[in-house]
Amino acid sequence: LILLNFGTSGQLDSMESVPDLQKAMYKFIDGYPCVRLLNLSGVIGCSNPGREMVVAPIVSYRSDKELSQSSAVLVSLDEIESFFTKIRNDSSFARNIAGVIVESGIEIQKNLKGFSPTQKFPQAEFAPYQTTNYEWNPIGSGIMWNEYNFPVFLLSESGTVTLLEAATKNEKSNKAYIADVAEFDLVMQTTKAGTHDSESCLKEGTCLPLGGYRTRTLIDSGDCVGSVWSSLPPINVSSTDQSRPVLLTVASMDSASFFRDKSLGADSPFSGLIALLAAIDALSFIDGLDDLKKQLVFIVFTGEAWGYLGSRRFLFELDLQSDAVGGLNNSLIEMVLEIGSVGKGFNQGVNKFYAHEAGVSSATNETLDALKYAQESLDSEHIIISPANASNPGIPPSSLMAFLRKNSITSGLVLEDFDSVFSNNFYHSHLDNISNINSSAVVAAASLVARTLYILASGDTNISSSTLTAINVNVSLVEELMDCLLGCDPGLSCELVKNYITPSTTCPSYYVGVMLDEPSSTPYLGAVADISRFLWNFLADRTSIPSKNGSSACSQGCSKNEVCIRAEADGKGVCAISTTRYVPAYSTRLKFESGIWTVLPPNSSDPMGMSDPVWTESNWNAIGLRVYTVQDPGYDRLVLLGGISVTVLAYVAIVITRAFITKALKRD
Amino acid sequence: MTVAAGIGYALLALGPSLSLFVSVISKKPFLILTVLSSTLLWLTSLIVLSALWRGFLPLKSTSWWPYGLLIFTSVAFQEGLRVFVWKGYMRLEDILNTFADKVSKPRLYLTDKMQIALAGGLGHGVAHAVFFCLSLLTPAFGPATFFVDRCSQIPFFLVSAIIALAFVTIHTFSMVIAFSGYAEGNKVDQFFVPVVHLVAGMVTLINFASGGCVIGIPLLYFIAILTLIHCGRMVWRRLIGNGRTQGNL
Repeated sequence: LILLNFGTSGQLDSMESVPDLQKAMYKFIDGYPCVRLLNLSGVIGCSNPGREMVVAPIVSYRSDKELSQSSAVLVSLDEIESFFTKIRNDSSFARNIAGVIVESGIEIQKNLKGFSPTQKFPQAEFAPYQTTNYEWNPIGSGIMWNEYNFPVFLLSESGTVTLLEAATKNEKSNKAYIADVAEFDLVMQTTKAGTHDSESCLKEGTCLPLGGYRTRTLIDSGDCVGSVWSSLPPINVSSTDQSRPVLLTVASMDSASFFRDKSLGADSPFSGLIALLAAIDALSFIDGLDDLKKQLVFIVFTGEAWGYLGSRRFLFELDLQSDAVGGLNNSLIEMVLEIGSVGKGFNQGVNKFYAHEAGVSSATNETLDALKYAQESLDSEHIIISPANASNPGIPPSSLMAFLRKNSITSGLVLEDFDSVFSNNFYHSHLDNISNINSSAVVAAASLVARTLYILASGDTNISSSTLTAINVNVSLVEELMDCLLGCDPGLSCELVKNYITPSTTCPSYYVGVMLDEPSSTPYLGAVADISRFLWNFLADRTSIPSKNGSSACSQGCSKNEVCIRAEADGKGVCAISTTRYVPAYSTRLKFESGIWTVLPPNSSDPMGMSDPVWTESNWNAIGLRVYTVQDPGYDRLVLLGGISVTVLAYVAIVITRAFITKALKRD
Repeated sequence: MTVAAGIGYALLALGPSLSLFVSVISKKPFLILTVLSSTLLWLTSLIVLSALWRGFLPLKSTSWWPYGLLIFTSVAFQEGLRVFVWKGYMRLEDILNTFADKVSKPRLYLTDKMQIALAGGLGHGVAHAVFFCLSLLTPAFGPATFFVDRCSQIPFFLVSAIIALAFVTIHTFSMVIAFSGYAEGNKVDQFFVPVVHLVAGMVTLINFASGGCVIGIPLLYFIAILTLIHCGRMVWRRLIGNGRTQGNL
């Protein structure tokens, strides 16, 4: 095989073995699929129509051209919305669609004004007000909420180049018997089993509920993602004096997109999360937090994009006073401050944010005053905070909705970078990446939140400016967090993250994932996702006070109120006093019993559960996309015929020759 | 390309060998043994050549002369080996003839000797086809086909099979010509075989040029047909001429 080029029309970028030849023939394409998701009433998302791979020639989409045969259509991102609209309206066009491949490219992204495949009012069914036709997200096309019976893949940059070449080759080729085809493997178990809603598929075991447990990635690393909460300073659980009112600050860590493995959510919600982390970092340097009138508690939810799973489950566990929320008393929560999307607040040198209040109460007025006071103390930073427009129907889609539906008199406020309409033109799309946000907006929001929380927690309306100016957000921390959590270079292998955990992937994706195991507040850490573990360690580290015995290694075990921080990084970890816990995140309508998930009937005491679609994701074996050249079956048969005829002709020739020679010899 | 095409390519390369085997070789067990040992011997020679050249490969060169050198040394090695095979065959012939005398059976006829040479050549051809064509054929049984840039009109596997068929023909009949040449002391026949082998090898270098296979492959078949015709004429001359001589005796 080393002499492979010998006697053949060898290529100089030579292959050295048969596996190399196989690799050259079958090109695996890097891509992100759209998968099949189910709810109580039906399905959404994409799937192969049966049990087989889908194979079809690659064709570039052109709005004026019709499809002559079943094809794999290559669509550019700026045409994707009109393309899917055409599929809905034109059934003869839709009939010829075997699969869809979406191009990727930095150039396209720059020119695209906006793309949001979700609804115009995301998760309207959970709103605590009636105006569900209000358009928070007017760009929303809703395409990710439809059912498609063909595979759809988003390409990477390298994949786009390969497929464009293939499509051009197909167009230019004058040989009718060969074509470059795409082979889609997106066979979904729910399609095979014929279970087309959550209840039946959970019963048959062909799907898993969405929630904070296992994210199946294409390179299955089996991550669990759970909500994380922490209190600053740590709550002394054994103490009886637990009556300090609690200020709960909330952010979320999951996003959604049409393509499962490319959900970054840089503006929504990660800018808010990063602002929260920076604020906590700033506050952790302040002394005397124990003496403040109120207790600060922070929580980062997951699963918010799929029915507010994290916040609902947290409130449920709070009612049950389970282990996951031990130390927190529901009745003590005085105020909920949510940090939503803040990354786009920077405009023409000014950082502008809006406070969306949930109803008017003394607590929300106090918070608004605190925000204004904090803004004044940050005078040099050009930050403006305003209350949201009074003509808004209420708060924008946020975790606070779960709190309000549970208890309509909850005092709460959502901090956002928009007033009446999302400023994020790429909400819940794969394009909501780091280039969509501005670090100075995040820094501004973090500074505002840190100082506001201090003002609120001290309960003092007249804090000296010197105290406030001591609370400063670390700008380089914000930038580092952005680079680590929202990009691939360095991505999760950056110093900051490696300081706390050993990441299993570099490129992050924040889709909530599915629940594989039994939910628990003490999950097996080897199965918890990088982002949750990082958040847990970061929060534990920032909110901890050193252990009484000095910083002891965890190898001897930590005492009751202590946790083991950096357990993965140095290999040993350090014990410290901190109240930082994981909380499972899954629908309140689901119950895990003897290895099976069952859907509970709607309960009027759980109003959000009544409108919960109960999202599940279909099981699948392998997902992939490859491209190769195929020749017409007639050609194959011709080759076989040729081979057989050569053999037969040779036989005939040999027999004749032999007879001839024998006769000639006999003659002589 | 599917199973049908895969079988088709395999038959293209080795079909005629199969026919030859079935019609001529399979009738005599000794010839079957000869084919098998010959195949083994020539496969070993190709493996030895690969091992010798391993250190220099892959030849990352845009010019043709390193490949020319590769082919030249390989052909030289194989032709040298052919002389040894001939010497081994001579000894074998003596043993067989001695044995025939002992059991009062006739000695090897000319036709027998030619058949042994043919079997030896067939072994050589099959070794070449297996090494250069069959070993690459596994991907051909899958759904995809493959085209090489420099020969974009014909699928790669088809090119491989056609070239292998040409070489099978050349090797099979070369052995007959070579053995006859050594036996008679005929210098023309003795030089014909190495020269043809070398030229055929070098002709494949034409395939490196873009679109070269359109010229290279017909040239290769020209050489194969030339070998076939030369062998035919030689056989005719020896057998029929021999018969006449015997008849006259």
